[in-house]
Amino acid sequence: MRDTLLAALSASASADAVSWLRGQISELSENFEKHPFYYAFSGVSRRFDKAATIQSENETIVGWDEFRTARVALLLVLAEKDKDTFLESFSAVLNTADIREQIALFSALRWMRHQEDLVESAVDGLRSNIVDIYDSIALDNPFPQEHFTDEAWNQMVLKAIFISRPLHRIHGIEARRNQALAEAISDLAHERWAAGRLITPEAWRSCIGFIDERIAGDIAKMAESENPDDRAAAALVVAEEESGKLESRKTTLADELSKIEIGDLSWKSLGQEMEDKIIRKSLT
Amino acid sequence: MRFFDSHVHMVSRTTDDYQRMAAAGVAAIIEPSFWQGQPRTEVGTFKDYFNSLIGFERFRASQFGIKHYCTIGLNPKEANNEKLAEAVMELMPLYICKEGVVGIGEIGYDDQSKMEEKYLIRQAEMALEADLPIQIHTPHRDKKKGTNRTMDVLVDVGVSPDKVIIDHNNEETVKEVLDRGFWAAFTIYPHTKLGNERMVDLMLEYGAEKIVVDSAADWGISDPLAVPKTAALMKERGVTIEEIEKVTYHNPLAAYGQSGQVEESDWEDHEGIDATALFEGNTLFRGGQDIDEAMSQYLIE
Repeated sequence: MRDTLLAALSASASADAVSWLRGQISELSENFEKHPFYYAFSGVSRRFDKAATIQSENETIVGWDEFRTARVALLLVLAEKDKDTFLESFSAVLNTADIREQIALFSALRWMRHQEDLVESAVDGLRSNIVDIYDSIALDNPFPQEHFTDEAWNQMVLKAIFISRPLHRIHGIEARRNQALAEAISDLAHERWAAGRLITPEAWRSCIGFIDERIAGDIAKMAESENPDDRAAAALVVAEEESGKLESRKTTLADELSKIEIGDLSWKSLGQEMEDKIIRKSLT
Repeated sequence: MRFFDSHVHMVSRTTDDYQRMAAAGVAAIIEPSFWQGQPRTEVGTFKDYFNSLIGFERFRASQFGIKHYCTIGLNPKEANNEKLAEAVMELMPLYICKEGVVGIGEIGYDDQSKMEEKYLIRQAEMALEADLPIQIHTPHRDKKKGTNRTMDVLVDVGVSPDKVIIDHNNEETVKEVLDRGFWAAFTIYPHTKLGNERMVDLMLEYGAEKIVVDSAADWGISDPLAVPKTAALMKERGVTIEEIEKVTYHNPLAAYGQSGQVEESDWEDHEGIDATALFEGNTLFRGGQDIDEAMSQYLIE
Protein backbone atom coordinates (compact mmCIF):
# COMPACT_ATOMS: atom_id res chain seq x y z
CA MET A 1 0.00 0.00 0.00
CA ARG A 2 2.82 2.36 0.83
CA ASP A 3 4.12 2.14 -2.73
CA THR A 4 0.67 2.89 -4.09
CA LEU A 5 0.41 5.99 -1.91
CA LEU A 6 3.90 7.19 -2.81
CA ALA A 7 3.30 6.60 -6.51
CA ALA A 8 0.07 8.59 -6.35
CA LEU A 9 1.83 11.40 -4.50
CA SER A 10 4.69 11.43 -6.99
CA ALA A 11 2.19 12.17 -9.74
CA SER A 12 0.67 15.04 -7.79
CA ALA A 13 3.07 16.67 -5.33
CA SER A 14 6.38 18.44 -5.80
CA ALA A 15 9.49 16.27 -6.10
CA ASP A 16 10.90 17.94 -2.97
CA ALA A 17 7.87 17.03 -0.90
CA VAL A 18 7.87 13.42 -2.04
CA SER A 19 11.57 13.03 -1.44
CA TRP A 20 11.15 14.53 2.05
CA LEU A 21 8.40 11.98 2.74
CA ARG A 22 10.50 9.07 1.46
CA GLY A 23 13.33 10.24 3.70
CA GLN A 24 11.04 10.39 6.74
CA ILE A 25 9.65 6.94 5.99
CA SER A 26 13.04 5.33 5.69
CA GLU A 27 14.37 7.12 8.78
CA LEU A 28 11.33 6.16 10.88
CA SER A 29 11.37 2.59 9.57
CA GLU A 30 14.94 2.09 10.71
CA ASN A 31 14.90 4.07 13.90
CA PHE A 32 11.49 5.02 15.18
CA GLU A 33 11.27 7.87 17.68
CA LYS A 34 8.18 9.66 18.88
CA HIS A 35 9.10 13.27 18.32
CA PRO A 36 10.38 12.93 14.75
CA PHE A 37 7.20 10.98 14.00
CA TYR A 38 5.02 13.76 15.41
CA TYR A 39 6.95 16.38 13.46
CA ALA A 40 6.65 14.39 10.24
CA PHE A 41 2.97 13.59 10.70
CA SER A 42 1.92 17.18 11.37
CA GLY A 43 4.67 18.66 9.17
CA VAL A 44 3.07 17.13 6.07
CA SER A 45 1.11 20.40 5.98
CA ARG A 46 4.32 22.33 5.40
CA ARG A 47 5.25 20.44 2.27
CA PHE A 48 2.16 19.17 0.50
CA ASP A 49 -0.87 20.81 -1.06
CA LYS A 50 -4.16 20.23 0.71
CA ALA A 51 -6.13 21.37 -2.32
CA ALA A 52 -4.56 18.83 -4.70
CA THR A 53 -6.66 15.75 -5.45
CA ILE A 54 -5.06 12.32 -5.79
CA GLN A 55 -5.51 10.15 -8.88
CA SER A 56 -4.70 6.47 -8.64
CA GLU A 57 -5.55 3.03 -9.98
CA ASN A 58 -6.46 2.17 -6.41
CA GLU A 59 -10.05 3.36 -6.08
CA THR A 60 -9.87 3.72 -2.32
CA ILE A 61 -7.55 6.72 -2.49
CA VAL A 62 -8.99 8.48 -5.55
CA GLY A 63 -10.07 11.96 -4.51
CA TRP A 64 -8.01 12.07 -1.31
CA ASP A 65 -6.00 15.22 -0.75
CA GLU A 66 -2.21 15.12 -0.50
CA PHE A 67 -2.23 15.65 3.28
CA ARG A 68 -4.34 12.55 3.89
CA THR A 69 -2.32 10.45 1.46
CA ALA A 70 1.08 11.42 2.89
CA ARG A 71 -0.09 10.99 6.49
CA VAL A 72 -1.50 7.53 5.82
CA ALA A 73 1.87 6.58 4.31
CA LEU A 74 3.53 7.63 7.58
CA LEU A 75 0.98 5.73 9.65
CA LEU A 76 1.86 2.58 7.71
CA VAL A 77 5.37 2.91 9.13
CA LEU A 78 3.99 3.29 12.63
CA ALA A 79 1.83 0.19 12.14
CA GLU A 80 4.94 -1.94 11.74
CA LYS A 81 6.18 -1.12 15.23
CA ASP A 82 5.56 -3.18 18.36
CA LYS A 83 2.11 -2.98 19.87
CA ASP A 84 2.89 -0.59 22.75
CA THR A 85 4.77 1.88 20.59
CA PHE A 86 2.07 1.76 17.96
CA LEU A 87 -0.85 2.28 20.32
CA GLU A 88 0.89 5.00 22.30
CA SER A 89 1.80 7.08 19.27
CA PHE A 90 -1.45 6.45 17.44
CA SER A 91 -3.51 7.68 20.36
CA ALA A 92 -1.12 10.59 21.03
CA VAL A 93 -1.55 11.96 17.52
CA LEU A 94 -5.27 11.22 17.48
CA ASN A 95 -5.92 13.02 20.77
CA THR A 96 -4.18 16.13 19.50
CA ALA A 97 -5.21 15.97 15.86
CA ASP A 98 -6.66 18.79 13.81
CA ILE A 99 -9.44 18.04 11.33
CA ARG A 100 -7.30 16.89 8.42
CA GLU A 101 -5.11 14.81 10.72
CA GLN A 102 -8.16 13.04 12.13
CA ILE A 103 -9.35 12.28 8.62
CA ALA A 104 -5.99 10.66 7.82
CA LEU A 105 -5.97 8.63 11.04
CA PHE A 106 -9.46 7.25 10.52
CA SER A 107 -8.84 6.57 6.84
CA ALA A 108 -5.79 4.51 7.82
CA LEU A 109 -7.64 2.25 10.26
CA ARG A 110 -8.16 -0.51 7.68
CA TRP A 111 -4.40 -0.94 7.23
CA MET A 112 -3.45 -0.80 10.89
CA ARG A 113 -2.60 -3.76 13.09
CA HIS A 114 -4.18 -4.30 16.52
CA GLN A 115 -7.44 -3.08 15.10
CA GLU A 116 -9.42 -4.40 18.06
CA ASP A 117 -7.70 -1.74 20.19
CA LEU A 118 -8.79 1.06 17.86
CA VAL A 119 -12.52 0.37 17.83
CA GLU A 120 -13.27 2.74 20.73
CA SER A 121 -11.47 5.58 18.93
CA ALA A 122 -13.46 5.00 15.76
CA VAL A 123 -16.76 4.91 17.66
CA ASP A 124 -15.78 8.12 19.43
CA GLY A 125 -14.76 9.77 16.16
CA LEU A 126 -18.26 9.24 14.81
CA ARG A 127 -19.56 11.53 17.55
CA SER A 128 -17.91 14.46 15.76
CA ASN A 129 -20.12 17.18 14.36
CA ILE A 130 -17.62 17.73 11.58
CA VAL A 131 -18.99 15.87 8.61
CA ASP A 132 -15.63 15.20 6.96
CA ILE A 133 -14.45 13.39 10.09
CA TYR A 134 -17.64 11.35 10.26
CA ASP A 135 -17.27 10.46 6.58
CA SER A 136 -13.69 9.28 7.00
CA ILE A 137 -14.91 6.54 9.34
CA ALA A 138 -18.34 5.70 8.01
CA LEU A 139 -17.91 5.95 4.25
CA ASP A 140 -15.73 3.80 1.97
CA ASN A 141 -14.16 2.26 5.05
CA PRO A 142 -14.33 -1.48 5.85
CA PHE A 143 -13.37 -0.94 9.49
CA PRO A 144 -16.83 -0.46 11.08
CA GLN A 145 -18.28 -3.48 9.28
CA GLU A 146 -15.50 -5.69 10.57
CA HIS A 147 -15.27 -4.43 14.15
CA PHE A 148 -18.36 -2.62 15.38
CA THR A 149 -20.89 -4.21 17.72
CA ASP A 150 -24.50 -4.05 16.49
CA GLU A 151 -25.10 -1.19 18.89
CA ALA A 152 -22.25 0.91 17.47
CA TRP A 153 -23.10 -0.11 13.92
CA ASN A 154 -26.71 0.94 14.29
CA GLN A 155 -25.74 4.30 15.78
CA MET A 156 -23.42 4.92 12.84
CA VAL A 157 -26.05 4.07 10.23
CA LEU A 158 -28.76 6.06 11.98
CA LYS A 159 -26.48 9.08 12.20
CA ALA A 160 -25.67 8.69 8.49
CA ILE A 161 -29.40 8.80 7.75
CA PHE A 162 -29.86 11.66 10.18
CA ILE A 163 -27.21 13.86 8.57
CA SER A 164 -27.98 12.75 4.99
CA ARG A 165 -24.80 10.87 4.16
CA PRO A 166 -24.72 8.49 1.17
CA LEU A 167 -25.52 5.05 2.59
CA HIS A 168 -24.39 3.15 -0.51
CA ARG A 169 -20.81 4.06 0.44
CA ILE A 170 -21.02 2.33 3.82
CA HIS A 171 -19.26 -1.02 3.61
CA GLY A 172 -21.50 -3.82 4.88
CA ILE A 173 -24.70 -1.81 4.66
CA GLU A 174 -26.47 -5.00 3.49
CA ALA A 175 -24.52 -7.64 5.39
CA ARG A 176 -25.02 -5.97 8.77
CA ARG A 177 -28.77 -5.42 8.57
CA ASN A 178 -30.55 -6.31 11.79
CA GLN A 179 -33.95 -6.17 13.45
CA ALA A 180 -33.14 -3.34 15.87
CA LEU A 181 -31.80 -1.13 13.08
CA ALA A 182 -34.85 -1.76 10.89
CA GLU A 183 -37.15 -0.77 13.74
CA ALA A 184 -35.11 2.34 14.58
CA ILE A 185 -35.23 3.43 10.93
CA SER A 186 -38.99 3.05 10.88
CA ASP A 187 -39.22 5.10 14.09
CA LEU A 188 -37.01 7.81 12.63
CA ALA A 189 -39.11 7.90 9.46
CA HIS A 190 -42.29 8.33 11.49
CA GLU A 191 -40.69 11.15 13.48
CA ARG A 192 -39.63 12.86 10.29
CA TRP A 193 -43.04 12.49 8.69
CA ALA A 194 -44.70 13.86 11.82
CA ALA A 195 -42.51 16.93 11.44
CA GLY A 196 -43.34 17.20 7.75
CA ARG A 197 -39.81 16.24 6.74
CA LEU A 198 -38.29 13.51 4.56
CA ILE A 199 -35.97 10.61 5.17
CA THR A 200 -33.38 9.52 2.63
CA PRO A 201 -34.91 6.71 0.50
CA GLU A 202 -31.68 4.74 0.84
CA ALA A 203 -32.63 4.12 4.49
CA TRP A 204 -35.15 1.42 3.58
CA ARG A 205 -32.42 -0.84 2.25
CA SER A 206 -31.52 -1.69 5.84
CA CYS A 207 -35.04 -2.96 6.50
CA ILE A 208 -34.96 -5.78 3.93
CA GLY A 209 -35.35 -9.10 5.71
CA PHE A 210 -36.97 -7.45 8.71
CA ILE A 211 -40.32 -6.46 7.28
CA ASP A 212 -43.00 -6.54 9.93
CA GLU A 213 -46.48 -5.10 9.64
CA ARG A 214 -45.42 -1.61 10.50
CA ILE A 215 -42.47 -1.48 8.09
CA ALA A 216 -44.63 -3.07 5.37
CA GLY A 217 -46.90 -0.07 5.87
CA ASP A 218 -43.90 2.28 5.52
CA ILE A 219 -42.91 0.64 2.26
CA ALA A 220 -46.50 0.88 1.02
CA LYS A 221 -46.38 4.61 1.77
CA MET A 222 -43.12 4.89 -0.18
CA ALA A 223 -44.59 2.91 -3.08
CA GLU A 224 -47.37 5.45 -3.39
CA SER A 225 -45.20 8.51 -2.88
CA GLU A 226 -45.15 11.27 -5.48
CA ASN A 227 -41.39 11.40 -5.13
CA PRO A 228 -39.76 9.10 -7.74
CA ASP A 229 -36.79 8.46 -5.40
CA ASP A 230 -39.14 7.07 -2.76
CA ARG A 231 -40.83 4.81 -5.30
CA ALA A 232 -37.44 3.66 -6.58
CA ALA A 233 -36.42 2.72 -3.03
CA ALA A 234 -39.72 0.91 -2.42
CA ALA A 235 -39.25 -1.08 -5.64
CA LEU A 236 -35.70 -2.03 -4.64
CA VAL A 237 -36.98 -3.29 -1.29
CA VAL A 238 -39.86 -5.19 -2.90
CA ALA A 239 -37.53 -6.80 -5.46
CA GLU A 240 -35.17 -8.08 -2.78
CA GLU A 241 -37.55 -8.98 0.03
CA GLU A 242 -38.05 -12.75 0.09
CA SER A 243 -40.62 -13.02 2.86
CA GLY A 244 -43.50 -12.46 0.45
CA LYS A 245 -44.89 -9.72 2.70
CA LEU A 246 -44.60 -7.08 0.00
CA GLU A 247 -45.90 -9.07 -2.99
CA SER A 248 -49.04 -6.93 -3.21
CA ARG A 249 -46.91 -3.83 -3.99
CA LYS A 250 -45.57 -5.25 -7.22
CA THR A 251 -48.37 -3.89 -9.41
CA THR A 252 -48.00 -0.29 -8.18
CA LEU A 253 -44.27 -0.44 -8.79
CA ALA A 254 -44.30 -2.23 -12.16
CA ASP A 255 -42.35 0.54 -13.92
CA GLU A 256 -39.63 0.74 -11.28
CA LEU A 257 -39.35 -3.06 -11.08
CA SER A 258 -38.78 -3.33 -14.81
CA LYS A 259 -36.02 -0.72 -14.52
CA ILE A 260 -34.37 -2.89 -11.89
CA GLU A 261 -34.77 -5.90 -14.18
CA ILE A 262 -32.87 -4.28 -17.04
CA GLY A 263 -30.21 -2.81 -14.72
CA ASP A 264 -31.33 0.82 -14.91
CA LEU A 265 -32.00 1.08 -11.20
CA SER A 266 -29.98 -0.22 -8.28
CA TRP A 267 -29.17 0.85 -4.73
CA LYS A 268 -25.93 2.21 -6.11
CA SER A 269 -27.58 4.31 -8.83
CA LEU A 270 -30.16 5.60 -6.36
CA GLY A 271 -27.45 6.32 -3.80
CA GLN A 272 -25.35 8.22 -6.31
CA GLU A 273 -28.34 10.25 -7.36
CA MET A 274 -29.06 11.12 -3.75
CA GLU A 275 -25.43 12.01 -3.19
CA ASP A 276 -25.51 14.49 -6.05
CA LYS A 277 -28.40 16.18 -4.30
CA ILE A 278 -26.52 16.56 -1.02
CA ILE A 279 -24.66 19.82 -0.64
CA ARG A 280 -21.38 18.85 0.88
CA LYS A 281 -20.04 20.99 3.68
CA SER A 282 -16.44 21.92 3.13
CA LEU A 283 -13.54 21.85 5.52
CA THR A 284 -12.99 24.96 7.61
CA MET B 1 -8.30 48.88 5.04
CA ARG B 2 -7.55 45.37 6.19
CA PHE B 3 -5.63 44.41 9.31
CA PHE B 4 -3.67 41.50 10.73
CA ASP B 5 -3.89 41.43 14.54
CA SER B 6 -0.99 39.18 15.45
CA HIS B 7 -1.85 38.89 19.13
CA VAL B 8 -5.39 38.37 20.37
CA HIS B 9 -6.86 35.79 22.79
CA MET B 10 -10.13 35.02 21.09
CA VAL B 11 -11.09 32.15 23.40
CA SER B 12 -11.97 34.92 25.87
CA ARG B 13 -13.98 36.97 23.40
CA THR B 14 -17.54 36.75 22.18
CA THR B 15 -19.02 36.47 18.72
CA ASP B 16 -19.93 40.17 18.97
CA ASP B 17 -16.21 40.86 18.96
CA TYR B 18 -15.66 38.64 15.93
CA GLN B 19 -18.44 40.50 14.11
CA ARG B 20 -17.02 43.91 14.91
CA MET B 21 -13.47 42.86 14.04
CA ALA B 22 -14.60 41.54 10.66
CA ALA B 23 -16.58 44.70 10.01
CA ALA B 24 -13.58 46.86 10.95
CA GLY B 25 -11.41 45.03 8.41
CA VAL B 26 -9.50 42.50 10.51
CA ALA B 27 -8.71 39.80 7.93
CA ALA B 28 -6.46 37.52 9.98
CA ILE B 29 -5.41 37.00 13.56
CA ILE B 30 -2.89 35.08 15.61
CA GLU B 31 -4.00 33.63 18.92
CA PRO B 32 -0.98 33.02 21.14
CA SER B 33 -1.08 30.31 23.78
CA PHE B 34 -1.12 31.97 27.15
CA TRP B 35 -2.35 31.42 30.65
CA GLN B 36 -6.08 31.57 31.26
CA GLY B 37 -6.32 34.10 34.07
CA GLN B 38 -5.79 31.45 36.69
CA PRO B 39 -3.14 28.75 36.82
CA ARG B 40 -3.85 25.34 35.35
CA THR B 41 -3.15 22.34 37.52
CA GLU B 42 -3.20 19.50 35.00
CA VAL B 43 -1.49 18.97 31.67
CA GLY B 44 -4.76 17.71 30.20
CA THR B 45 -6.18 21.21 30.29
CA PHE B 46 -3.24 22.37 28.17
CA LYS B 47 -3.99 19.66 25.64
CA ASP B 48 -7.62 20.66 25.38
CA TYR B 49 -6.61 24.33 25.19
CA PHE B 50 -4.18 23.65 22.34
CA ASN B 51 -6.84 21.51 20.65
CA SER B 52 -9.27 24.41 20.80
CA LEU B 53 -6.67 26.75 19.26
CA ILE B 54 -6.14 24.44 16.27
CA GLY B 55 -9.75 23.29 16.15
CA PHE B 56 -12.86 25.00 17.35
CA GLU B 57 -11.51 28.54 17.65
CA ARG B 58 -10.22 28.33 14.10
CA PHE B 59 -13.63 27.17 12.98
CA ARG B 60 -15.38 29.89 14.99
CA ALA B 61 -13.23 32.62 13.42
CA SER B 62 -13.89 31.25 9.93
CA GLN B 63 -17.59 31.79 10.48
CA PHE B 64 -16.91 35.50 10.59
CA GLY B 65 -14.58 35.48 7.61
CA ILE B 66 -11.48 35.85 9.78
CA LYS B 67 -8.50 33.58 9.23
CA HIS B 68 -7.20 32.27 12.54
CA TYR B 69 -3.63 31.16 13.30
CA CYS B 70 -1.98 30.38 16.59
CA THR B 71 1.30 30.05 18.40
CA ILE B 72 1.91 27.16 20.78
CA GLY B 73 3.85 27.49 24.01
CA LEU B 74 4.11 27.37 27.76
CA ASN B 75 3.68 30.84 29.23
CA PRO B 76 6.17 32.07 31.84
CA LYS B 77 3.73 32.20 34.75
CA GLU B 78 2.94 28.51 34.50
CA ALA B 79 6.56 27.64 33.76
CA ASN B 80 7.10 28.00 37.50
CA ASN B 81 5.19 24.76 38.09
CA GLU B 82 7.97 22.37 37.14
CA LYS B 83 5.99 19.16 37.05
CA LEU B 84 3.34 20.74 34.86
CA ALA B 85 5.96 22.45 32.70
CA GLU B 86 7.74 19.15 31.99
CA ALA B 87 4.47 17.57 30.91
CA VAL B 88 3.74 20.51 28.59
CA MET B 89 7.22 20.13 27.04
CA GLU B 90 6.26 16.52 26.21
CA LEU B 91 3.01 17.71 24.68
CA MET B 92 4.28 20.57 22.52
CA PRO B 93 6.03 18.49 19.83
CA LEU B 94 2.61 17.14 18.89
CA TYR B 95 1.45 20.63 17.98
CA ILE B 96 4.25 22.84 16.77
CA CYS B 97 4.45 21.54 13.20
CA LYS B 98 0.74 21.61 12.61
CA GLU B 99 -1.03 23.50 9.85
CA GLY B 100 -1.59 27.13 10.90
CA VAL B 101 0.83 27.07 13.84
CA VAL B 102 2.95 30.12 13.05
CA GLY B 103 5.34 30.13 15.98
CA ILE B 104 6.29 29.19 19.51
CA GLY B 105 4.66 31.63 21.91
CA GLU B 106 3.96 33.49 23.91
CA ILE B 107 6.97 32.66 25.99
CA GLY B 108 9.45 34.69 28.00
CA TYR B 109 9.72 36.00 31.54
CA ASP B 110 7.21 36.95 34.19
CA ASP B 111 9.00 36.99 37.56
CA GLN B 112 12.31 36.33 35.78
CA SER B 113 12.78 33.20 37.86
CA LYS B 114 15.25 30.40 37.14
CA MET B 115 12.41 28.09 36.20
CA GLU B 116 11.07 30.61 33.70
CA GLU B 117 14.51 30.82 32.14
CA LYS B 118 14.80 27.05 31.92
CA TYR B 119 11.60 26.75 29.90
CA LEU B 120 12.32 29.81 27.81
CA ILE B 121 15.52 28.09 26.70
CA ARG B 122 13.84 24.72 26.15
CA GLN B 123 11.16 26.30 23.98
CA ALA B 124 13.65 28.42 22.05
CA GLU B 125 15.49 25.19 21.22
CA MET B 126 12.21 23.67 20.10
CA ALA B 127 11.63 26.65 17.81
CA LEU B 128 15.06 26.13 16.28
CA GLU B 129 14.34 22.45 15.76
CA ALA B 130 10.99 23.14 14.07
CA ASP B 131 12.29 26.25 12.28
CA LEU B 132 9.58 28.49 13.70
CA PRO B 133 9.42 32.16 14.75
CA ILE B 134 9.16 32.97 18.46
CA GLN B 135 6.60 35.28 20.02
CA ILE B 136 7.95 36.85 23.20
CA HIS B 137 5.94 38.07 26.16
CA THR B 138 7.96 40.69 28.01
CA PRO B 139 7.38 41.01 31.75
CA HIS B 140 5.17 43.68 33.29
CA ARG B 141 7.55 44.25 36.19
CA ASP B 142 11.20 45.16 35.66
CA LYS B 143 10.39 45.23 31.97
CA LYS B 144 13.50 46.82 30.55
CA LYS B 145 15.89 44.43 32.24
CA GLY B 146 13.61 41.47 31.49
CA THR B 147 13.42 42.39 27.81
CA ASN B 148 17.17 42.68 27.46
CA ARG B 149 17.72 39.46 29.35
CA THR B 150 15.25 37.68 27.06
CA MET B 151 17.17 38.83 24.00
CA ASP B 152 20.49 37.75 25.54
CA VAL B 153 19.15 34.26 26.25
CA LEU B 154 17.72 33.85 22.76
CA VAL B 155 20.94 34.93 21.11
CA ASP B 156 22.87 32.50 23.33
CA VAL B 157 20.63 29.65 22.23
CA GLY B 158 21.39 30.57 18.61
CA VAL B 159 18.07 32.04 17.54
CA SER B 160 18.22 34.67 14.81
CA PRO B 161 16.74 38.01 16.01
CA ASP B 162 14.89 38.26 12.71
CA LYS B 163 12.77 35.29 13.73
CA VAL B 164 11.72 36.75 17.06
CA ILE B 165 8.81 39.11 17.71
CA ILE B 166 9.27 40.85 21.07
CA ASP B 167 5.86 41.96 22.28
CA HIS B 168 4.49 44.47 24.80
CA ASN B 169 7.24 47.00 24.11
CA ASN B 170 7.18 50.58 25.32
CA GLU B 171 9.25 53.76 25.01
CA GLU B 172 11.90 52.32 27.30
CA THR B 173 12.49 49.02 25.51
CA VAL B 174 11.98 49.72 21.83
CA LYS B 175 15.35 51.17 20.92
CA GLU B 176 17.43 48.25 22.06
CA VAL B 177 15.01 45.72 20.55
CA LEU B 178 15.22 47.38 17.13
CA ASP B 179 18.96 48.03 17.37
CA ARG B 180 19.56 44.35 17.98
CA GLY B 181 17.53 43.34 14.92
CA PHE B 182 14.41 41.91 16.61
CA TRP B 183 10.83 42.70 15.58
CA ALA B 184 9.24 45.14 18.04
CA ALA B 185 5.55 44.58 18.71
CA PHE B 186 3.38 47.00 20.67
CA THR B 187 0.24 46.01 22.45
CA ILE B 188 -2.45 48.67 22.50
CA TYR B 189 -4.13 47.74 25.75
CA PRO B 190 -6.05 50.26 27.83
CA HIS B 191 -4.76 51.30 31.24
CA THR B 192 -2.01 48.74 31.85
CA LYS B 193 0.13 48.60 28.72
CA LEU B 194 0.13 51.24 26.02
CA GLY B 195 -2.42 53.76 24.81
CA ASN B 196 -2.54 54.48 21.10
CA GLU B 197 -1.52 58.12 21.28
CA ARG B 198 1.81 57.01 22.69
CA MET B 199 1.95 54.47 19.87
CA VAL B 200 1.60 57.20 17.28
CA ASP B 201 4.37 59.18 18.96
CA LEU B 202 6.57 56.09 18.82
CA MET B 203 5.82 55.65 15.11
CA LEU B 204 6.70 59.26 14.44
CA GLU B 205 10.02 58.71 16.18
CA TYR B 206 10.98 55.20 14.97
CA GLY B 207 9.13 54.85 11.66
CA ALA B 208 7.50 51.60 10.54
CA GLU B 209 10.46 49.31 9.98
CA LYS B 210 10.09 46.07 11.98
CA ILE B 211 7.31 47.58 14.09
CA VAL B 212 4.10 45.61 14.74
CA VAL B 213 0.88 46.80 16.39
CA ASP B 214 -1.47 44.33 18.10
CA SER B 215 -4.34 44.29 20.59
CA ALA B 216 -3.60 41.37 22.93
CA ALA B 217 -7.30 41.55 23.75
CA ASP B 218 -8.12 38.88 26.33
CA TRP B 219 -10.28 38.29 29.40
CA GLY B 220 -9.42 41.65 30.91
CA ILE B 221 -10.61 45.13 29.96
CA SER B 222 -9.13 45.26 26.52
CA ASP B 223 -10.12 46.15 22.98
CA PRO B 224 -10.33 43.72 20.04
CA LEU B 225 -10.59 46.76 17.76
CA ALA B 226 -7.32 48.21 19.04
CA VAL B 227 -5.51 47.68 15.73
CA PRO B 228 -8.08 49.36 13.44
CA LYS B 229 -8.59 52.14 16.02
CA THR B 230 -4.88 52.81 16.22
CA ALA B 231 -4.71 52.88 12.43
CA ALA B 232 -7.48 55.50 12.44
CA LEU B 233 -5.58 57.61 14.95
CA MET B 234 -2.36 57.25 12.98
CA LYS B 235 -4.11 58.47 9.86
CA GLU B 236 -5.50 61.49 11.72
CA ARG B 237 -2.06 62.30 13.08
CA GLY B 238 -0.48 62.23 9.64
CA VAL B 239 1.25 58.85 9.48
CA THR B 240 1.30 57.74 5.84
CA ILE B 241 -1.05 54.99 4.68
CA GLU B 242 1.94 52.98 3.58
CA GLU B 243 3.42 53.08 7.07
CA ILE B 244 0.09 52.29 8.71
CA GLU B 245 -0.33 49.24 6.47
CA LYS B 246 3.16 48.14 7.33
CA VAL B 247 2.72 48.04 11.09
CA THR B 248 -0.85 46.73 11.11
CA TYR B 249 -0.65 44.22 8.28
CA HIS B 250 2.51 43.65 6.24
CA ASN B 251 5.03 43.48 9.09
CA PRO B 252 3.24 40.84 11.18
CA LEU B 253 2.62 38.90 7.99
CA ALA B 254 6.32 39.03 7.12
CA ALA B 255 7.46 38.16 10.64
CA TYR B 256 5.17 35.17 11.16
CA GLY B 257 5.21 34.29 7.47
CA GLN B 258 8.69 32.91 8.17
CA SER B 259 6.86 29.86 9.54
CA GLY B 260 5.62 29.05 6.04
CA GLN B 261 2.20 28.64 7.65
CA VAL B 262 0.62 31.97 6.82
CA GLU B 263 0.39 33.89 3.58
CA GLU B 264 -1.88 36.53 2.17
CA SER B 265 -3.40 34.10 -0.33
CA ASP B 266 -4.91 32.17 2.61
CA TRP B 267 -7.58 34.82 2.82
CA GLU B 268 -7.23 36.66 -0.49
CA ASP B 269 -8.14 33.53 -2.45
CA HIS B 270 -11.42 33.51 -0.66
CA GLU B 271 -12.91 36.71 -2.05
CA GLY B 272 -10.67 38.87 0.11
CA ILE B 273 -12.54 40.54 2.91
CA ASP B 274 -15.61 41.54 0.96
CA ALA B 275 -18.16 41.54 3.76
CA THR B 276 -20.88 40.06 1.59
CA ALA B 277 -18.81 37.13 0.35
CA LEU B 278 -18.63 33.53 1.49
CA PHE B 279 -15.60 32.26 3.29
CA GLU B 280 -14.95 28.57 2.63
CA GLY B 281 -18.64 27.91 2.48
CA ASN B 282 -19.57 29.88 5.58
CA THR B 283 -21.66 33.00 5.57
CA LEU B 284 -19.66 36.03 6.44
CA PHE B 285 -20.83 38.72 8.79
CA ARG B 286 -23.21 41.01 6.96
CA GLY B 287 -24.35 43.50 9.56
CA GLY B 288 -22.19 46.01 11.34
CA GLN B 289 -24.53 48.83 12.29
CA ASP B 290 -22.72 49.22 15.57
CA ILE B 291 -19.29 49.34 13.99
CA ASP B 292 -19.41 53.03 13.16
CA GLU B 293 -20.22 53.77 16.76
CA ALA B 294 -17.50 51.45 18.03
CA MET B 295 -14.92 52.97 15.71
CA SER B 296 -15.94 56.55 16.38
CA GLN B 297 -14.21 56.41 19.78
CA TYR B 298 -10.81 55.35 18.57
CA LEU B 299 -8.70 56.82 21.28
CA ILE B 300 -7.40 54.14 23.65
CA GLU B 301 -5.87 55.47 26.83
